[in-house]
Amino acid sequence: MVPTNKEELFELLIESSTDFGIFTTDLQGIVTSWNVGAERVFGYSEAEIAGHSADIVFTPEDRAEGAPEDERARARRDGRAADERWHQRKDGSQFWASGVLMPLKSGAGFLKITRDRTEQHQAGERLRESEERFHLLATSIPQLVFLTRPNGDRTWPSPQWIAFTGLSFDQSLGPNWLEAIHPDDREVTQKAWEDARKTGEYYTEHRVRRHPDRAYVWHQTRAKPVDRSGSLAGDWVGTMTDIDGLRGLQSRQQILMAELQHRTRNLLSVVQSVANQTLRSSESLQSFKTQFASRLRAIGRVQSLLAQVEDQAVDLRDLVTAELAAHSESDPASSKVQVDGPPVTLPATAAQALGLALHELATNALKYGALSHPEGKLEVRWEVMQKHPTPEVGLKWSETGISLTAPPKRKGYGRELIERALPYQLKAKTKLEFAADGVRCEIVVPIAMEPAHD
Amino acid sequence: MTDELKGRRVLVVEDEYLLATDLAASLEGVGAEVVGPASSVKEALDLFSRDGRLDGAVLDINLQSDRVYPVADMLRSRGVPFIFTTGYDASAIPKCYSDVPRCPKPVDEQRLIRCLRQVTQHA
Repeated sequence: MVPTNKEELFELLIESSTDFGIFTTDLQGIVTSWNVGAERVFGYSEAEIAGHSADIVFTPEDRAEGAPEDERARARRDGRAADERWHQRKDGSQFWASGVLMPLKSGAGFLKITRDRTEQHQAGERLRESEERFHLLATSIPQLVFLTRPNGDRTWPSPQWIAFTGLSFDQSLGPNWLEAIHPDDREVTQKAWEDARKTGEYYTEHRVRRHPDRAYVWHQTRAKPVDRSGSLAGDWVGTMTDIDGLRGLQSRQQILMAELQHRTRNLLSVVQSVANQTLRSSESLQSFKTQFASRLRAIGRVQSLLAQVEDQAVDLRDLVTAELAAHSESDPASSKVQVDGPPVTLPATAAQALGLALHELATNALKYGALSHPEGKLEVRWEVMQKHPTPEVGLKWSETGISLTAPPKRKGYGRELIERALPYQLKAKTKLEFAADGVRCEIVVPIAMEPAHD
Repeated sequence: MTDELKGRRVLVVEDEYLLATDLAASLEGVGAEVVGPASSVKEALDLFSRDGRLDGAVLDINLQSDRVYPVADMLRSRGVPFIFTTGYDASAIPKCYSDVPRCPKPVDEQRLIRCLRQVTQHA
């Protein structure tokens, strides 16, 4: 039998609504009726709470702030008052209540309907927190973040993207964001979406125009579907990372490799040539062996000086000191030798040639000259002269205190190096003289720095 | 075959003295008349403008402060065949010179002479 009495129908409905806490109060909030649902939701039986204030279901904090009174005032004024807040059960535990308070038509009190929505509330909270975390991450990392459709149409650009490209939010939506991609890279950029729809991962490298200087900056762009279940149809999230520095480094490395290869081959050529020249001026295989080994060591010393500096420039004092040290192992703190001059940096090629020349002078001094004689003295001095168009360094090698019996007759390797090679390749002016009391040599080299190789 | 390049006027551009003299001696050894050697772009262009009659040239790509390409362009515009000697890999040489024969350093003199003879014959 379906009850026909409206009041009876209503009561049945209320009693059967066990998920809804439904109760009535008088105008002051004193409970006048309390259904089974209310008992389930709040933990109080009707007998316990009837005649007491329903305000007890509010949290102590909300009660202290007058939330129950406020709610009744709103219900009277507006005809209903939404009630979305934490409530407190009889046992002190709290739950998220979603309900409404309405004035009774009679004007004698209120009706309140409340549901426990804790789970939904928490799920919503978690979602909001997760969205907040995503938003925080997406808007604070240095990468440009975006949400996109799987065809490349963007649905959300991060503030970094907007700041970097100068495109507005709306100008970045759909396919419009391609405006900021280098025209030559747009095809690759779009083509990568075809691959992405097969592989489930977007990857490309392209140039992105920077605001406000309109310079194109290389970026690496990756994207993956937000939905981890394997469906590729939903939104994708992606990042664009500045790799301009990295690409610059890579191309710099390629240049350096080419340069290194060039230098190595050139060095081999020099070695080959030194071998040829030494062979020409050697009387025997034994003397070739000794001289060639000694010249190779001189080349090696300059190379190790060059290896210590990044810009391929060597200080003249280091060059002179290294060469002299190699020839005076028996007499390291020699008072026979004086070296003096201001700091001068020599480019690699000049250092190599000058190093070989100093080596020939030192070898000669040790064999026949000042370093071979107890009375012999050697001075190596240089100065920088401001000449136009480039400054020059003038180096003087003076041996004294010995008596040269006879100047060498044959035009040796060292002499050719100083008198011919230095003028040829360094535009140097040189003078080599065998004075009665020792060897004098003057070398004037222009020291325009080599422009950096591009 | 000592007269493989007999009477040919060959410009040599090489900034390293020892290499330049070695190369000049080898070329003269096979009968060539060496113009230069020049150690810089400026010297090479000066030599060329003073005495433009050349049958061929051997150019070192990397000179101390610059590259030899202006000389190469000048020779090309006058139809003088030339070859490069270089320590660079092909990839480091501009594409427009990719048809220029190269002798890698250290130079194999026999190969260089063969190569030079070929390009001067074609001219």
